[in-house]
Amino acid sequence: MQALAAPGHFVLTFDDPETARDARPGHFIAVAATTPANAGSSILRKPFSIFTVDREAGLCTILFSVYGPTTSTMALYKPGDKLDFLGPLGGRVFEADPHSDVHHVMVGGGYGVPPLNFLAKTIKAANPNAKVTLIYGARSANLLVGDDGLREAGVEIISCTDDGSLGVKGRVTDGLSPLLAPPAPDNGGASVHVYTCGPTPMMRAVAELCTAHNKPCQVSMETPMPCGIGICVGCVLKKADGTFSRTCTDGPVYPATEVTWQ
Amino acid sequence: MAVNLAVKIGSMVMRTPVTTGSGTFGFGSETKDLVDLSKLGAVCVKATTRERRLGNPPARMCETASGVLNAIGLQNGGIENYILEKLPYLRQFDVPIIVNVPGENPEDFAYVARRLTETGGADAIELNISCPNVSHGLDYATQPHLTAEIIAAVKAVTHLPIIAKLSPNVTDIRPIAKAAEDAGADAISLINTVIGTAIDARKRTFKLANKTGGLSGPAIKPIALLAVYRVAQTVHIPIIGMGGIMNATDAVEFILAGATAVAAGTVSFVNPLAAIEIADGIADYLTQNGFTDVHDIIGAVQ
Repeated sequence: MQALAAPGHFVLTFDDPETARDARPGHFIAVAATTPANAGSSILRKPFSIFTVDREAGLCTILFSVYGPTTSTMALYKPGDKLDFLGPLGGRVFEADPHSDVHHVMVGGGYGVPPLNFLAKTIKAANPNAKVTLIYGARSANLLVGDDGLREAGVEIISCTDDGSLGVKGRVTDGLSPLLAPPAPDNGGASVHVYTCGPTPMMRAVAELCTAHNKPCQVSMETPMPCGIGICVGCVLKKADGTFSRTCTDGPVYPATEVTWQ
Repeated sequence: MAVNLAVKIGSMVMRTPVTTGSGTFGFGSETKDLVDLSKLGAVCVKATTRERRLGNPPARMCETASGVLNAIGLQNGGIENYILEKLPYLRQFDVPIIVNVPGENPEDFAYVARRLTETGGADAIELNISCPNVSHGLDYATQPHLTAEIIAAVKAVTHLPIIAKLSPNVTDIRPIAKAAEDAGADAISLINTVIGTAIDARKRTFKLANKTGGLSGPAIKPIALLAVYRVAQTVHIPIIGMGGIMNATDAVEFILAGATAVAAGTVSFVNPLAAIEIADGIADYLTQNGFTDVHDIIGAVQ
């Protein structure tokens, strides 16, 4: 079943205890959804990041907006309909920095926000005292409407808008810079670990900023994934060592130092 | 009533007439949690070259209307990597292995075929003389005499069945199929992808880094069916039909057109079990229509 997260955005809840048990932040599912009216026009599955999980209830959610035949069909789903998906998929997912005093900083944009939301909650659930900040661009603010649990969990949220009408004026990197540059009064001198997911230009800017400040950064790469299970070799990114890596099964999360930006 | 689904491609016996299509099923181990390979008619693995190939830069694939355009560029670890790293997994299953072999010259084809023969690395060799993404339009399968040259070079070094994979990107496929048969090919597989391109109007760029790619999926099925039918009228060796097969009905159509076996290709991206489910569906079709053997409907289109 599903609810409207914000105008044009849907939250789809599906019942699958195994996925709810196994899914970790960065995992995704590959959905096939057609109606008799559009069957065959688009044949490939489409990937969606896991947004929230409720292990006790065996439920998971994904966020989507209507874009093509698959999401048009998904928007029509009613409670009780069957969701055709493979998952949870993904080889390397987000790894929370194990140090207890680290400042976890998540930088998201657009549909990169859901897995970061999941990550922030996971870190807080494991360690309620962990210092966690989520920075996101204003255009993605509405994607958080579907879940207001982050502030309650004690996650600091910094929004960035071009005109400064909400939060920090500027881009997400303007919100991120003060947290990286020493001295860092906001984080009490703790080390910083950055996790980013969103449009490629945004992640590139975040990764390069982290590299300049010598801070670890994990990026969840977004490439079109025809199969999602490693057999088509179509979703590759070029790694720093010159080889091509399948983002579906070798990623989608990589240390920023391993990827090249084209 | 039990029906016979078993077919022969040269000396290779397939328990069902459905194989995976090269390049659409990896090397078999990727789907180890999903697919029991012994239920396949055969497993046709991704193209394997003499040396390791990194493949083309991204973007490599894009979806088009009822199809997929790809320019992977034959990314693979090379024949020795296949023998050491891929073959042991495949040989755990009682299923024939078809290895797809591309090459840039007759020596490359013969080298890989010889290594596969020496090591028991394949039960049949599919000569990929028709990949549109690496040849710059100079596919061996665009010329009868070049097709024959490659088949003869491989025939000289192996006793394994040789399957010539032909290209649809030709004026008339029939003389090429005939040349393959005359040169000693044991079977013909067709079609490889249809060359095409896709452009992003907003960015004003090609959608694939390679600019051109090979089109697969339901969009090419009518092209493939006609090619199978025409070749079946031309040669006496078995045909493995492929091109946009999404379900058992599609597969039956290829068999009616003259294919002895079929390959599930792009559909495996959507459903990794497709090749198994399509074989079950062919059995159902035969039963429902009063046939006891898949051979009863090969080329039976009126």
